[in-house]
Amino acid sequence: MTTAVADADILAEPSRPLPRRWLSRRLEPYVFVSPLIVLIGIFVLAPGVLTVALMFFNVDILAGTWKFTGLRNIQQAIGRGEIANSIVVTIEYALLTVPPSMVLGLLVALGINGLRAGGSFWRAAYFLPVAATLVAMSIVWRWMFLARRGLVDQTVGKWMGLTDWLNSSDLSLPAVALVGNWQQIGFVAIVYLAGLAGVPKHLLEAARIDGASAWHRFWHVTWPALGPATVFAAVISSIQALRIFDTIATMTKGGPAASSETLTYLLWKRGIYYFDIGGGAVVTVVLLAFALLATWIQKRASRRLERAGSR
Amino acid sequence: MTKRSTSPFAPGQIAVHVALAAGAIFMLLPFWLMIRAALTPEAEIFSGNMLTLGTVTLDNFRRVFAEVPILRYYFNGIFVVVAIFIGQVIVCVPAAYALARLHFSGRELSLWIVLGALMIPYQVTAIPVYVILAQFGLIDTRSALILPFVANAFGVFLLRQFFLAIPGSVFEAARLDGAGAFHTLFSVVLPMARPALVTFGIFSFVSHWNDYFWPSFVLRSDAAATVPFGIVRFLDAELGSDYGPQMAAATLSVLPLLVGFLLAQRQFINGIAMSAGQVE
Repeated sequence: MTTAVADADILAEPSRPLPRRWLSRRLEPYVFVSPLIVLIGIFVLAPGVLTVALMFFNVDILAGTWKFTGLRNIQQAIGRGEIANSIVVTIEYALLTVPPSMVLGLLVALGINGLRAGGSFWRAAYFLPVAATLVAMSIVWRWMFLARRGLVDQTVGKWMGLTDWLNSSDLSLPAVALVGNWQQIGFVAIVYLAGLAGVPKHLLEAARIDGASAWHRFWHVTWPALGPATVFAAVISSIQALRIFDTIATMTKGGPAASSETLTYLLWKRGIYYFDIGGGAVVTVVLLAFALLATWIQKRASRRLERAGSR
Repeated sequence: MTKRSTSPFAPGQIAVHVALAAGAIFMLLPFWLMIRAALTPEAEIFSGNMLTLGTVTLDNFRRVFAEVPILRYYFNGIFVVVAIFIGQVIVCVPAAYALARLHFSGRELSLWIVLGALMIPYQVTAIPVYVILAQFGLIDTRSALILPFVANAFGVFLLRQFFLAIPGSVFEAARLDGAGAFHTLFSVVLPMARPALVTFGIFSFVSHWNDYFWPSFVLRSDAAATVPFGIVRFLDAELGSDYGPQMAAATLSVLPLLVGFLLAQRQFINGIAMSAGQVE
C-alpha cells in the first residue's frame, strides 16, 4: 500500500460516525506514553529537584526527619576538602585511563582490521573483559596485586621495585587505572572497528597507487574518517571514568588516605556509608556538573566534525 | 606494488597476529589465573608456575557452595534482570512507537523529556532515588533493584529510531484494518521490534547482571542480593584470605556471562557497544 492511498483512507475515515473509536484513537498515544513519562518523572526529574533540596537539609532517613541547615552541608563539604580531593583523583584517573585505552584500542582495531583471517577470534579475546562482571574480576586483580605473594609483586615488583600497589598512596590509583584500561581497551577497539568499516576504500586504494606510505595513508585518509568514532570513544571513556566504582570499592576502598577516592566512590561513602544524605547531595551536584560538561563537549565536538565534513 | 598480498600467511600478517597475541595475554591472563587458582588446592596456589595447572581439585567450588548462598544470588540476579527487561518492554515499546509514529500534542515535550533523561547518568540520581525508595520502605528489596530501571530513556530512543526506519504505511495498514490500539501493538509493533529488542535486551541483561553500584546503595543484607553484591559481601566477611574459594566464587559470578558471550558473540558485542548511542 502506498502512502498516498493510506492518506486518502485517513481523510475518508471521519465521515464514518464512530465517536467511541475516534476517542480511543485520540487517547491511544497518551496511554502508550504516560507510563514512561510518569516513571521518568519519579526516577529522573523529581530526583533532580530533590537533590537541590537535599543540599540544604539534614535528613535522617530512619527517623524520617528533615532539618533545614542552610548552607552547612556545602560549607562542610568544602571544609573537609574531600570534594576537591575527589575532583583531582577523578581527573587523574581519567588521564590514566582515557588516553592509553584510546591509543591501545585504536592499535588493536587497526591490527584486527588489517587481518585476512582470524579477526573475529582476536576481537572476542579483547572484548572478553568488557563482558565480564567487573566486580568479580576486581577480586581477581586484587589478588594479583597482593603484597609480596601476588603476581604483580612477584614480577613487576621484583624487576622494578614497585611493590604493594594497593597499599601505596602513589600506586593505588595507577593499579585501579590499569584495571580500567584492561576493561576499556576492548570497548574502544570495537568502536574503532565500526569506524574503520566506514573508511572509504577507494581513497585508500588511490593513495596506495599514488605510492603513499602506510603512515601517510593512515594520517591523511583513515584518521580523518575516524573522527566520529574518536569523539564517541573519548566521551564514553570519560563518562566511564566519571562513574568508576566497582574496582575502587573492591580493590582499594578509596584508600590509602583517599588517594583513590573518585567522585562516584565519595558519593557512596558520604551518602550510604556515613549516611550523610545532604553531603551526598553536594557530591551529586558536582558529579552532575561533570556529566553535563562531558555531554556539552561531545555536542560541540560532533558539531565541529559535521561542519568540517560539510566543507 | 599495486596489488595487496592476499595470503593469510604473509610476513606482515604473521607479525600482526604475534602483536595481537602479545596484547591478548594481558587481556586473558586474569581469567586464566582465576580459573587456575579456583582449581588448585589452597596450599599450592602461590607455589609453582602460575602458567601451568598442577593438582586439580574442586574443593574450592565445594566450599563456595557450602558456605556462600550463591544459588540465592543467582536466583535474585536472574529475577531482577528478567523483571527489569519485561518492565522495559512493557513501558518502552509502546512509548517509542507513539513517539515515532503517532501524532498527538505533547509529543515534542515527551521527546525532550526522554532526551533530557538520556543525558543524566544514573549515578547522579542515586542519592535522591535512594531517599524516595526509603520513603516507600523499599530499601533492601528486589523492587529497589528493579523499579528505577524500567523506564529506560536509552531504550526508548533506540526503539524510536528503529520504528522511524520502518515505513509508516506498515503501521497505518494495521490501524486501518480496524485493529485496536493494543492489537496493533502486540501483533504488528512488538514482533517488528524484535531485532532491536534482542540487542537492547543483551545490553540490559549484561549491565544489570554486572551492576554493583546500585545494589551497594539500596541493599543491606543477603535477602535480595544479586551476584556481584552477594559475592563481595561474603568474601569480605567470610573468606578474607582464602584465595582459592575467592577465585572459585569469582569464576561462578563471571561464568554465566562468559558462556553467553561465547554462544552469541556478535549480539553481545552489538549489545554492549551500543551502550551510549552507538546505533545512530
